[in-house]
Amino acid sequence: MSATTAPVSRYLPQRRKWMGSLLHHVIVAGLGFVMIYPLLWMFASSFKAPSEIWTNITSLVPQHFTLDNYANGWKGFGGITFTTFYINSFIYAFFGTLAAVTTSAVVAFGFSRIPFKGRAFWFTCMLMTLMLPAQVTIIPQYIVFSKLGLLNTFWPLILPRLGGQAFFIFLIMQFIRGIPHELDEAAEIDGCNKLSIFTRIMLPLISPALITSAIFSFYWTWEDFLSPVVYLNNPKLYTISLALRSFADPSATTDWGAVFAMSSLSLVPVFILFIAFQRYLVEGISTTGLKG
Amino acid sequence: MSNARSMTTWLRLIALALVALVALACGGGGTATAPAQQQPAQQPAQQQPAQQAPAAKGPVEIRVAWWGSQDRHDRTIKAIELFMKKNPDIKVTYEFAVWDDYWTKMTTQAAGNSLPDVMQQDYAYIDEWFKRGLLAPLDDYVSSGAINLKDASEEFYKGGRVQGKLVAINLGSNSPSFGLDVDAFKKAGIAIPSDNWTWPEFEKIATDLHTKLGIWGFGHDLANDQMWKSIYFSAGEWAYTDDGKKIGYASDKILVDYLNMILRLQKAGVTPSRAEAQATYVGKPVEQLAIVTGKSAMDFFHSNQIIAVWKAAGENRNIKMVALPRQPGGKSANYIKPSQFFSVTSQSKQKEAAAKFIDFITNDVEANEILAAERGVPISSKVRDALKPKLGKAQVEMFDYVDRVAKDVQPIKPPDPAGHTDIVKNIWGPQVVDQVLFEKTTPEKAAALLRDEATKILAK
Amino acid sequence: MASAGRPAVSQAPVVGTGTIGQRRGFRHDNLTGYLFIAPWLIGFFAFTLIPMIASLYFSFTEYSVLSSPRWIGLDNFVRMFTQDARYWNSVRATFTYVFTAVPLRLIFALAVAMLLNTKHRGVSLYRAAYYAPSIVGGSVAVAVMWRQIFGTEGVVNAVTHVFGIPSVTWLGDPATAIWTLVTLAVWQFGSPMLIFLAGLKQIPQELYEAAAMDGATPWSRFTSITLPMLSPVIFFNLVMQIISGFMVFTQAFIVTGGAPLDTTLFYALYLYRRAFETFQMGYASAMAWVMLLVIAFFTAIVFKSSSYWVFYDNKEGE
Repeated sequence: MSATTAPVSRYLPQRRKWMGSLLHHVIVAGLGFVMIYPLLWMFASSFKAPSEIWTNITSLVPQHFTLDNYANGWKGFGGITFTTFYINSFIYAFFGTLAAVTTSAVVAFGFSRIPFKGRAFWFTCMLMTLMLPAQVTIIPQYIVFSKLGLLNTFWPLILPRLGGQAFFIFLIMQFIRGIPHELDEAAEIDGCNKLSIFTRIMLPLISPALITSAIFSFYWTWEDFLSPVVYLNNPKLYTISLALRSFADPSATTDWGAVFAMSSLSLVPVFILFIAFQRYLVEGISTTGLKG
Repeated sequence: MSNARSMTTWLRLIALALVALVALACGGGGTATAPAQQQPAQQPAQQQPAQQAPAAKGPVEIRVAWWGSQDRHDRTIKAIELFMKKNPDIKVTYEFAVWDDYWTKMTTQAAGNSLPDVMQQDYAYIDEWFKRGLLAPLDDYVSSGAINLKDASEEFYKGGRVQGKLVAINLGSNSPSFGLDVDAFKKAGIAIPSDNWTWPEFEKIATDLHTKLGIWGFGHDLANDQMWKSIYFSAGEWAYTDDGKKIGYASDKILVDYLNMILRLQKAGVTPSRAEAQATYVGKPVEQLAIVTGKSAMDFFHSNQIIAVWKAAGENRNIKMVALPRQPGGKSANYIKPSQFFSVTSQSKQKEAAAKFIDFITNDVEANEILAAERGVPISSKVRDALKPKLGKAQVEMFDYVDRVAKDVQPIKPPDPAGHTDIVKNIWGPQVVDQVLFEKTTPEKAAALLRDEATKILAK
Repeated sequence: MASAGRPAVSQAPVVGTGTIGQRRGFRHDNLTGYLFIAPWLIGFFAFTLIPMIASLYFSFTEYSVLSSPRWIGLDNFVRMFTQDARYWNSVRATFTYVFTAVPLRLIFALAVAMLLNTKHRGVSLYRAAYYAPSIVGGSVAVAVMWRQIFGTEGVVNAVTHVFGIPSVTWLGDPATAIWTLVTLAVWQFGSPMLIFLAGLKQIPQELYEAAAMDGATPWSRFTSITLPMLSPVIFFNLVMQIISGFMVFTQAFIVTGGAPLDTTLFYALYLYRRAFETFQMGYASAMAWVMLLVIAFFTAIVFKSSSYWVFYDNKEGE
């Protein structure tokens, strides 16, 4: 039940409840349209014929509805189609997310629940890695991977995530720290070691944080282009984000219809993932029984 | 507490730690054997033929890289496939990106000593890349006939020379131009100007177009750094001295007059305000130029871009290119500019094969039919003649224009010096034209500042 | 604080230290601790530390990437602080952005998260709609889209026309350009919203039920239950938004390119330009390390202050 409306509505007459619900919908839906307008615009443009993309740019309705943009866009480059780019992006996003979220959870537990010497120092180091822009570290990192002989593979994209990512580690830590220590202590008295406390008690409790991390991680890897640009040479290894960028050079002839069509399509997996997982954030595994 | 379960989890954790440790150990090993690993980056599967190459007479492998959009990628890939068919002993792998990404990629590869064998190059960068020792001189290949330039006139490829050495082969010729909406001119009853028009004539025509049609006489972009070069070029000078160490013009007056003119045009509403131009046109896709949407009667672009412009505007429109305006009584403000080059990098281990590829792209008629002059007018006269019957409306205009201005152009000046990008991006744009057009400073002060700051950068 | 909130929890929320302090009364368990953080440590030493140290070294050199770095001592820093007018433009733009976009985005994200933390019919659809702008990313199509929306004939001007406001060149006018980007950033509030939603999920419903029985008003329930219980997550979002706020790049890169008059020339954008457009990696690295110090300073302030307002539901400090 809603935390904010349910207990109050208990004391209100039915009509006011109905009115309140309508108002809620009007506000939320109106704001929702503003939020989604950019996507509608891009989607509409993807159905416009090449001659009207720029000349009929403001309209949300194509004058000549066409699906050609999708057919032309999917062809990709010189026989390498978007099927390839989708597979590559899925490989990167799936393994990148799996690596980042699982290890981040392990590391976060270590930082937040186990007192050890140097904890504050390493935590500070971890935060610092977030404060240096990739633009100045990418070249030395490239040289490291070049010496490892891993250029033109997915390893340079996935390996750094295998150690967990500072953002997710810190996020999961904040959720773990909201969980009472009594639970750990009780479990320890029951004979659990740290690892089983983590796997059997913590993991279920922090599932909202894990799901949030997974959604972010998937999206961030999906849209990441700096690492693919630098590490992937063979177009057969290109990801969606890189392929999309390769479509359009401002100074050269560009098939903008195809750009809009493929950009719209590229959002679909991210969107589906979000819709599939978001309900766990609100209806997910309940923690209420364990808290308090 | 189930012991078996916690055991499994422990094992998993240890396995994870081991994987990471192995990665670390490999890191140490890799560093130790670094010299062996410093070859161009290739897929493991593809590495073998490349390593065998010097010993046995097996197929050699070269990497080719370029920037562009989908159209160019498709055409270039097809041309590469044709090359491999005709030269079974050479395997070509390729990589492509858009301009920004391309240079990020190439810069990084240069640092990692893993540049491709053949890379697309730009007039603004060949000087710096050659002086840093990253491009191989091609004169030997030209004199040996490996790269055949006999069908190209000197005018079309001399832009690839740095310090007297040919370091890049022009992929297509260009010349800066003003694109005119012929129908708008007709509607306003104004005659199409000739190629030797002057800036005062330009100002009058643009103003008349604006008053008669209510649209902008000229869209974008009079504040382009190309204009800075061209106004002095027409007066017999250039932005830089030939050695690229100093500013190349004696007096700021021409620049000050020019800045005053574009300020006048902006105030009169003949051109978009700087605010409008930056929001909508500067650095944006050529398809978005005002001439495409009919909001202006003239626009500035390079001759090869007319294909994109015309395609976006629609086939039923009529667009014509004329040369840049001159100083009154001055010489032509135009020159034949290489739109982009192919260069062989000094890190290449297969320079012969790379040269062969460049020769193929330059001279093979079939390949150029695929490429369709998308990079500009091909330098080989044989290729040009073979292409002419097959051209579309926009390409015909492009060929015509380059032919026409080529008769009266001045010889091209040496490539931009290393500090050029710094000067344009950090001084010319933000501190000169922006400040003048937002009326934060006077043209006199801005021109003086440009001279001071550019002199400092060039002296380094 | 509504007294109603207290009885529901067995132990009251206690002020935490915010930083990772050593908990008194607990023995250290170094081996287990290091085993747990081992994956991160290995990744840090293998892939992160070397590049970081290298960039620190580059900041004292002239390094064009195309040839080897040359040691020039503090020259980059001196030039940055005393001779580069655009550097200060970028500092101004970035601070303006951080001090407006970050709080606005957080407030908006929290408000919408509260609004969507219900079981109204269709709420998951709304959640998806509200999250949508945050996943459009930074592709060229998106760049065209944003420019179109804020363009002279774009939808924003169409709406303001209805209210009799004349057309504004939102992205071209030095007075409005940065606010357009701030709006855009607030629009893309999806990631902090998602984190707030996850945080709200963790608050035990018994607290609200108990408070409702005591007749607490919605506002007092918000201030006495939601805010304190959510404070660890608010703290996280604040820290992360400050860090990412200082490093803001994409919007300016794809929409304005730093124009007009450098009013949207964000620090990270200028740094990128120096690194990859004019090949001044040494100067860019110097800029990056100065930024690191600035971000570290602000982050440290937030961490120090956290002991006054972040509540951890545990016995820390007892």
